[in-house]
Amino acid sequence: MSGAEWQLVGFSLRMALASLLLVLPVGLALAWWLARKDWRGKALVETLVSLPLVLPPVVTGLVLLQLFGRRGPVGSWLHNIFNCDVVFTWRAVVIALAAMSLPLFVRAARTAFEEEDVKFEQLARTLGAGEWRVFFTITLPLAKRGVLAGTLLAFARALGEFGATIMVAGNIPGRTTTLPVAIYAAVQNGEDAHAWTLAGVSAVIAFAAVFVSENLLRRRK
Amino acid sequence: MNNEIITATFRKQFPGGAEIVVENVCIGGGITVLFGASGSGKTTVLRCLAGLETPDEGEIKFGGEVWFRKSGKRKAKGEDIFLPPRKRGIGFVPQDYALFPHLTVAGNVCYGLNELPAAERAARVLETLNWLGLDGLEHRLPRELSGGQQQRVALARAVVRRPKLLLLDEPLAALDTPTRLRLRGELRQLLRQLGLPTILVTHDRFEALALGDDVVVLHDGRNVQQGAVPEVFSRPVNLAVAEITAVETIQSGQILETRDGLATVAVGDARLIALAGDLPPAAREVYVCIRAEDVILMRADSVQSSPRNRLAATVLALVREGSLVRVNLDCGFPLTALLTQPACEELALQEGTQLVALVKAPQIHLIPFTR
Amino acid sequence: MKHLIFSIFAGAALLFFVQTNIHAATVTVFAAASLTDSVKQIAADYEKTSGDKIVFNFAASGTLARQIEAGAPADIFFSADEAKADALEKEGLLASDIRKSLLGNSLVIVTAPDAVAVHSSADLTNAAIQHLALGDVKIVPAGTYAKAYLEKTGVWQAVEPKVVPCESVRAVLAAVESGNVDAGIVYKTDAAISKKVKVAFEVPTADALKISYPLALLKDAPQPDAAKKFIAYLDSDAATTVFKQFGFIVLSSAPAK
Repeated sequence: MSGAEWQLVGFSLRMALASLLLVLPVGLALAWWLARKDWRGKALVETLVSLPLVLPPVVTGLVLLQLFGRRGPVGSWLHNIFNCDVVFTWRAVVIALAAMSLPLFVRAARTAFEEEDVKFEQLARTLGAGEWRVFFTITLPLAKRGVLAGTLLAFARALGEFGATIMVAGNIPGRTTTLPVAIYAAVQNGEDAHAWTLAGVSAVIAFAAVFVSENLLRRRK
Repeated sequence: MNNEIITATFRKQFPGGAEIVVENVCIGGGITVLFGASGSGKTTVLRCLAGLETPDEGEIKFGGEVWFRKSGKRKAKGEDIFLPPRKRGIGFVPQDYALFPHLTVAGNVCYGLNELPAAERAARVLETLNWLGLDGLEHRLPRELSGGQQQRVALARAVVRRPKLLLLDEPLAALDTPTRLRLRGELRQLLRQLGLPTILVTHDRFEALALGDDVVVLHDGRNVQQGAVPEVFSRPVNLAVAEITAVETIQSGQILETRDGLATVAVGDARLIALAGDLPPAAREVYVCIRAEDVILMRADSVQSSPRNRLAATVLALVREGSLVRVNLDCGFPLTALLTQPACEELALQEGTQLVALVKAPQIHLIPFTR
Repeated sequence: MKHLIFSIFAGAALLFFVQTNIHAATVTVFAAASLTDSVKQIAADYEKTSGDKIVFNFAASGTLARQIEAGAPADIFFSADEAKADALEKEGLLASDIRKSLLGNSLVIVTAPDAVAVHSSADLTNAAIQHLALGDVKIVPAGTYAKAYLEKTGVWQAVEPKVVPCESVRAVLAAVESGNVDAGIVYKTDAAISKKVKVAFEVPTADALKISYPLALLKDAPQPDAAKKFIAYLDSDAATTVFKQFGFIVLSSAPAK
């Protein structure tokens, strides 16, 4: 593996980690709401959250392109007010990875919250704890395993994300080229050895992440 | 001690038809027992008082503070009030203690003291653990503790905040019988020492008798009687309460005559004299209730004694219950007596023994027959 | 019931291998993306008179070359630069003696209609130009030509950090149309068919490499005779008129090598 290849892996890892920074807060909030509350239109939210799992990734990419492109609702606001571009930059990579891995995280975290006995949260409330404190000191620690498993799954998914990424971020070496995109480009350019090396690294990381995740999910106390 | 602190009137419907209707329950300071059979709704009532469950309509007040108000009518929606549990200043101990499994004993106990500065927090925790005999267990996890220890930690956690009201759900139910009996006395002492208004749920009449000052009897989701413990247990207001408070002998009888405030009642072949009390004048058919511990057994009949009711009895069976013996007798109707083991031995009781059962008139309770 | 299911699966499997040959012959053309509109129109005319059917695969020439190397069934390769055809020839994938450099083209710098003005390659170094779309030099001839131009005019170093590589010259065009990049370099013929971009600057021939589109028959062509007929048609006056309409330069029809 050459220096450039290691840099690529490093970039992919950094982007996946950055996407977790988006996925965790949004995902935890969604998972908690879906697990603990009931409201009219809940089914709609559940469906929307699960969509990226089932839609062709390029469709999700298309939607993101429309939203964050310079002429799109969010993109134009960012461009005009903050002079900040999303499409074709690392920001698009992070957003694409987050959008694709969010559903996996929400599923795992939601199950973890649902399996927890609410009696501990109720008792914490009688002891004067507000909702935020209950969440961070009781709900989350008791759901640790499931949430961690979900995080690993989301991380692995983010690392393997291709369809949406290539639509919104393109393939700009050093700036938006992730591992899967690099593999695709290598095959297109006939650089088979390079493609196989990168594919190998991809496989090893994915295997490790899923293996640990499955173990965490299985060992439930 | 009996000025009303809590007043509650509310109803709650459950899917499947069961309903809880609590009307004008008034609870004072001291220890009040919510007493009833399993499924009578006592735990739900407790949880409604705690704010962990919400009635469909009604009002709950503590002191002058409204903790809950909800009107069934649409118009009054704007006045609905619900004070969340964390603002009620309560201490709650559920039946299974619900100790936070991921925190140590110290972590559990100091959880509710977040608003205090660290030093004071530590001091309070230590003081409370000390008082409950839990020294040295600060760093243990709940799963490493015995049942009795867990109960005390749960209690410590609830009282360390100096709550205005203590709520205990079947505090001794999760313990095995010998531990339960041993800790019952300890619990009474602890609760007395605390001096907090306490509401305690139990289905065990001996626990109610041992721990409570006042009792509210619940039957099928409704409160049927409330008052001081000895009063309610010796004077059940209707058959349902009598059955709940487990008066051992309940027999149907006919009132033959009422004179000077005394009633003569025919029960089976026997004649009993009881207080007419507040019986309606035209009452004919009654239930006769006699608690087993109010029955005195005697060998010979020649001694003059005060109890008006002297019945010739034959021992049918003897059932040991710890240090007590339940004696089933035939006096012309089935009668149950409760004696200590030594008393049994002294009288040399066995199946077939013939003796005399004495019951004082004031201890025969008459409940009018209701169809 | 089991028999029914088996027959359905067997039938489906057979269909996988059967090729329906309703038309006289189907000629498969792998052509550079910049040829999309012109070749489609020419082929439509051809189909009317010849009775053959023409099927296309338009993509970056490099992508097409890779597909051919991997064994994709194709009759004709119409590339946007000689290098891609040379590579295939070296691997023995082209039919000998049937290769012509048919067309030429020129490069233009395009921007969105409301974008900042660009009058030369030097203007691309402007801070207002944040993203510049070019074909990916590894597979898109337009990208190779563009890079050569930028190097020749001495601005490549300054401009390289802004480059957004795209996978075909039409992708470059689309990027500029969407407004997500500030400028792009495409062929004059591509800019001509788009109403959503402005031609800011035409690259003078002196500064650019010679752009040449070789047309070749593949050695393992499934329909060599029909393919040869179509190749001849592409070289005919009828076809070259259409090419000129789209703005292509028609080179002499002598063989390239």
